[in-house]
Amino acid sequence: MATDVNELRARFDADLGAASTLEACKTVRDRWLGREQGIISAEMKRLRELPAVQRPAFGAAMNELRGHAESELGRALERLQAEARRAAEASARIDVTRPGFPLQIGAEHPIKRLQAEIESIFVALGFEIWDLPEIETEHYNFEALNMPANHPARDSQDTFYLPGGKLLRTHCSSVQVHAMEQRKPPIRAVSTGKVYRRDPFDATHSPMFYQADVLAVDERITMGDLKGTLLLFLKQVFHPDIRMRLRPGFFPFVEPGAEVDISCIFCDGKGCGKCKGSGWIEILGAGMVHPKVLAMSGVDPARYTGFAWGMGIDRVAILKYGVDNIRLFFENDLRFLTQF
Amino acid sequence: MKISLEWLRDYVDIRQKPERLKEDLALSGLVAESFSRVADDVVFDFEVTSNRPDCLSHVGVAREVAARYRRPLRLPPGSESLTAAGPEVPYGIEIRDPDLCPRYTGLVLDGVEVRPSPPWLERRLVAAGMRPLNNVVDVTNYVLLELGHPLHAFDYHRLRGGKIVVARAAPGTKMTTLDGVVRGLDPEMLLINDGERPVAIAGVMGGLDSEISESTRTVLLECAYFDPRSVRRTSKRLGLLTEAAYRFERGADWNDTVTATARACRLLQEVAGARVAGSLQDVYPTPLRPVVIELRRRNAENLLGVRLTDRFVVSTLERLEFKPEPAGKGIWQVSCPSFRADMELEADLIEELARFRGYDKIPTTVRGGGAGTPSPARRIENAARGALLGVGYHEAVNLSFAADSELQQFPGSEGAPVPVSNPLTEETRFLRTTLAAGLVKSVKHNFNHDNRLVRLFEIGHVFGARASGEVEERRVLGMAATGGFAGANWANPAGATFFHLKGALEAVLAALRSARWEVLPGEGVPWLDPAGTARLVVAGETLGVLGPLHPALEEQHKLRQRVFLAEIEFDRLAPHLFRPVTFEPLPRYPAVERDLSVLVGADAEFREIAAGIEQLGISELVALDLIDVYEGGKIPAGKRSMTLRLRFQDRARTLTIDQVQAFGDNVLTFLRKKFGAELR
Repeated sequence: MATDVNELRARFDADLGAASTLEACKTVRDRWLGREQGIISAEMKRLRELPAVQRPAFGAAMNELRGHAESELGRALERLQAEARRAAEASARIDVTRPGFPLQIGAEHPIKRLQAEIESIFVALGFEIWDLPEIETEHYNFEALNMPANHPARDSQDTFYLPGGKLLRTHCSSVQVHAMEQRKPPIRAVSTGKVYRRDPFDATHSPMFYQADVLAVDERITMGDLKGTLLLFLKQVFHPDIRMRLRPGFFPFVEPGAEVDISCIFCDGKGCGKCKGSGWIEILGAGMVHPKVLAMSGVDPARYTGFAWGMGIDRVAILKYGVDNIRLFFENDLRFLTQF
Repeated sequence: MKISLEWLRDYVDIRQKPERLKEDLALSGLVAESFSRVADDVVFDFEVTSNRPDCLSHVGVAREVAARYRRPLRLPPGSESLTAAGPEVPYGIEIRDPDLCPRYTGLVLDGVEVRPSPPWLERRLVAAGMRPLNNVVDVTNYVLLELGHPLHAFDYHRLRGGKIVVARAAPGTKMTTLDGVVRGLDPEMLLINDGERPVAIAGVMGGLDSEISESTRTVLLECAYFDPRSVRRTSKRLGLLTEAAYRFERGADWNDTVTATARACRLLQEVAGARVAGSLQDVYPTPLRPVVIELRRRNAENLLGVRLTDRFVVSTLERLEFKPEPAGKGIWQVSCPSFRADMELEADLIEELARFRGYDKIPTTVRGGGAGTPSPARRIENAARGALLGVGYHEAVNLSFAADSELQQFPGSEGAPVPVSNPLTEETRFLRTTLAAGLVKSVKHNFNHDNRLVRLFEIGHVFGARASGEVEERRVLGMAATGGFAGANWANPAGATFFHLKGALEAVLAALRSARWEVLPGEGVPWLDPAGTARLVVAGETLGVLGPLHPALEEQHKLRQRVFLAEIEFDRLAPHLFRPVTFEPLPRYPAVERDLSVLVGADAEFREIAAGIEQLGISELVALDLIDVYEGGKIPAGKRSMTLRLRFQDRARTLTIDQVQAFGDNVLTFLRKKFGAELR
């Protein structure tokens, strides 16, 4: 005799209705939909016992029941699984507001960063970077740069002397002499690093500071080339919109010599306290390599010309970052370093 | 140099406002730091560069203004006659050392009444920053400020023998200068003597004995040209930087001694009732010749990168009192004025053209060049800096100097300390021999500002003198770490600072693709704690040390916290860095890990254990890690538990369980035999 499918369906609905946990629900699933032992599979096996005329109707009714069971169970399982996940999440909750692991990236020293930046700008401009010793001879530091002994220009470069007539370099300009002695024109050389002058500490002076010195020597290098290269460089260091002006100036190793100003980076040249109302800030010294300096280093001044400039890296840092005391650069106070 | 606008207007018409004048002169090379309004006057403070002594006077500045604005220059009048009207007062001038004094001009004035100067003269001196004394001295100062040439006035009656002898000092000479100081003089110093003794240090300062006083009636005026180097040397040696020396050492006008004398004479006639009593004597054995420079317009154009006309060249030079004589098309023989001590080469003339053409009129151009090249040393330095920043070390820069006390505490590893011959302070007595001293100072500075988690590195030079006396300069990497991983923080494992430092150093070495290195026990570093001193060995060579700061120094510096230091010979490490990359194919078969927890004696070093295991020659062993160390608690005294993680891998096949078991047994047997290890 055929099973009453409606009654089976009512039993299934009651069974599922009573299953309130994920586990109970899975038990219901196995009991009804198990491939071998499941109630629905078992009932289906009885199909062959039925008279042929009843088989299609019974089969269809049982398939409908299977569909019903599958979809009801699916819905129930999904609901209970979601509930279980929510419960698990609540218990495994991370306090994401606790501080992250205190990993630190070191702070780059502002002067060293500028030094590296300046060197990379010059590499891009086609210059060779020279890394030179800090101990120099009188010859390279002064004499070959047209600053013989007893030259008044030496007054501004009070020097630390070492035994044996050596000295701590007072500028990186000696790169001019080294480069011209060791290379043939065209020469493009830059040297940066520590320099020393016998100045006591105050807000703007330190017995040690950083400089970058630049040299280009070739046939027919003009003062226009000096201006063009300078402007390219200064725009990269400061800001693409800055303006530049050159004024006559005196440095024994250049002729003509120039003081180079940039438009005040604080007021964009309108005039403010920082530029004393002038709209300009003096930034470096430059000029065309003095014929005597060329000749002393073995470069024929009748054939070659060149330009050179020198700038204080500390001075750029002071301007760029508004640091009010040069001493801060050499105290290594983390409250200072971590601002850069 | 203080310049009064009211005074300047005696020599040139100026219609520009002070602001404008300041700006215009700056653009042609004469920079006034500032100007101030004083009563009816404006006083500029010019910073005159050492090559332009001609601008150290009002007439000199007026000449620049006149050239700038193309206006005529009016020179001040001098006395028309420099010849005695009555009987000559006898006096003589002898130059014994003409190399140091090419020219000496004298004049004797009588009937002088020494008294205060008239108000206009005093006012001008004060405006220019000088203190009025009496009319005679004031006139010499006035002429110095007006024409730039220093003069000196002697009391004629105090000059013995009525004569002037210019000569180098005799050995052991002493004299008392105007400021009352007795000066010892060396034989290279040039003196002005009378018939018996020195009466002035040439070009620097007069003597007290022949000073102008209220009783002076007769004056001998000196206007000379002295060798700049000689004056500079004397002034430096004596530490006497006077207005006169300042001008002579930069180069006075060798051709205006008579003009300046005539000017002073006229003023003394006006303000002191003087009259010429001893006629002008101009002793000038070998007249100096003006500097003549050939100038080619083409050279100027090539150097400046701008076109110039012949008319511009000639008119600019003439306005500055140069005399260009045509010597061909676009070529001149330019005779330079005697007041321009800076003229030597064609480039000097070209600068004059550039100044008045205007630097702003030179177009900006850029020349293409070849490829740039970074410095190999700096490339390595920057890579190391990047790695050190990445592992959390802040970058320090310390002064390259060291005090005596620092050298005692932190002696260098190589060479003798290098003393600075002329130190500025105690702190600059020596060049530094270590980076450690500076880094400890920086750590202390941060402690003093309540920052007790400090990690710093510095790459810089240290110095040491070899036995030969030659100073060696080495690039060194210094590191300092204190305060654990994270200071006071919930995530901070305690007591791990040394291994943080070591780990950071090794991470940096790895990042720089260093040759194989080892950290081995070390000794003999005076500033490190012997209990924890280690050395870094790269390719068999000791290239650095690391460890905790010596407890005695920790105590001395009141650090109250362990500070760990490393100092690595960076230059010598460099050749071992950036080994070329060779790709190794990725393994195709899985690795198997096996952990061994063993009890070993507490004195067993991990390095020995690892090296021993490596020597077993198990080629499938690809990694060995120490994943746990434990002592105390249930572990018997004198023992330590170590958990080793062994990683095995065969590049050709998958390892079997039996193989791995055999490798593990092999290791364990070794540990039992060599270290008496027990499996836990």
